[in-house]
Formats: sequence, C-alpha cells, structure tokens
Amino acid sequence: MADSRRVEHGYACEEVVQLASEYLEGAMTPEQMTRFELHLNLCDGCSSFLEQIRTTAELATSLSVEQIPDEMKTKLLAAFRDWKGE
Amino acid sequence: MLGPAGGVDVADDTTLVARLLDGEESAFEQVVAGLYPAMFAVARGYVRTRSVAEEVVQEAWLGVLKGLEGFEGRAKLSTWVLQIVANIARDRAVREARSLPFSSLELDDAEPVVEPERFRGADEPYPGGWRSFPTDWRTLPEERLLARETLDLVDRAIKELPEVQRTVITLRDVTGCSAAEVCELLEISEGNQRVLLHRARARVRARLERHFDG
Repeated sequence: MADSRRVEHGYACEEVVQLASEYLEGAMTPEQMTRFELHLNLCDGCSSFLEQIRTTAELATSLSVEQIPDEMKTKLLAAFRDWKGE
Repeated sequence: MLGPAGGVDVADDTTLVARLLDGEESAFEQVVAGLYPAMFAVARGYVRTRSVAEEVVQEAWLGVLKGLEGFEGRAKLSTWVLQIVANIARDRAVREARSLPFSSLELDDAEPVVEPERFRGADEPYPGGWRSFPTDWRTLPEERLLARETLDLVDRAIKELPEVQRTVITLRDVTGCSAAEVCELLEISEGNQRVLLHRARARVRARLERHFDG
C-alpha cells in the first residue's frame, strides 16, 4: 500500500512543508490544524522543518533594521523645522 | 506605533502626535527612527531603486506633516504614515510607467518551498516523505545560531530575494508589521501575503540549512 503514510498521518511531508506558514500564522481550519499537528507528532523531520522556519523568522526579527541614513535624517528634520516655522 | 521594531504603544499615538504638533524634536526622533525601516521597505516594494525609494520617503514625510493636524487616531499612527508612503510610492511607480509589482502578482503555484528531490517519489515507500530529515536546529549551540555570521547571512539572503518576497518578509519579520497591515499597504490578499511570506522564509531557511549543515 504505497500511500499508507499519507492516509495514516493525514498529510505527506511534502505537503506539510508547503503549509508551515499557514500553521504558524493561525490560518488553518480546526480540521486542518488537527491533521497537521497529528503529522508533526509522528514525524521528527517535519517538526525540525517547522522549527527551522520559526527560527528563520526569529533571526529575521533580530536583524538590526535598516537605520535611517544621516543625510536622510537631516533632510527630514529640516522639513520638520520648516513645517513648524510656518 | 510599530510592534517589536518601533517599540511604541498604540496608546502613545495621541501624545506623540501632540508632541509633533508642538514641534518637539524628540518626538520627531522617535517617529522617524521607529518608522523609517518600514517606510523604506514599503517604498522599496514599489519603486526600482534605493534613491527613488528615499525620495518617496521624503515626499511622504511632507505629506505626514501636512496631514498631522487632521490625524484623528482612528488608525494607528504607524499604519497611517505607512499608508501615505504606499500611496506616494504607487503614484511614483505609475509615473515611472512601471507595472505595479503587487497588482500584477501572479503566484506560480509550482514554486516548491523545498527541493522536490528531498522527498520520496510516488513509486517508493512513504511517497512524499523526507528522504533524510532536516537537522534539528534546537541542538545547535546558541552562540552559533546567533553568531554575527549567521545574522549577516540572513540579511544577505533577504536582500537577494525576489522583490515582492523581500518586501513582505521585511515588513512582517524584520520590522514587525501585522499581516493585516501588510495586506492593506501592498493591496494583496491574506492568502497571497502568506504565500509570499512562506516562500521568502523558505528560501532564507534553505540558505541557513546549507550554512549549518555545511
């Protein structure tokens, strides 16, 4: 029975990787979520994959955001002072 | 204002606006430093070059100052400011005779987030299952995970993403905008927003995997 894993776990690993952000974003129906979590509980590979996606998002969050260049800040501040002076 | 990156609460918006109206430069600092990354990311999502994106931010800032007295606090200050940036960037893209990157968005359903070779074929046992499992990054030492080298790699990987993916991951994960804000700013559906975010994260993940697994 070639498709046993799919039937047993609801989703194949190939599908789980496509759905990881749907899951993390809370965009699944309760039924999809149950199937997804059932698969995760039984599959170390997909648990690791999900964790990797979560870590990737966290690393992106810890990047220092694009700082405002000094020249730009000077221009915006000048506009602010002009506006205030009007 | 913005969540993680802006570090300012919605409740502070009214006070902040009042301080701006009083011409307080510390309020200017707070708003500009907090919102610049997201303002720039929104602008950059629509226009071709960094320098045009910077012009859009400047023009938007004038628009913010002009409209500030009329700001009624119905939306968050950050949302309102970013909306102004998006409107100006969109006009600018039209003037540049550029097709709007997000309106002409056609998501290719076939783009896999993990190389298909990583999974077993239909004629093998456990079709669609991993050939070999991804490694568990929870076992990595924290100093490796959070090393400067790792963060630089994430930064580079994001910069090299296709434009629409880069804009979405920057707004969501780097500057901390909500999904709803991103959909509104870029005029995309929730579904498309999630697909772009997921593809972006998946591409960055693949780079990290090559880095960690060596």
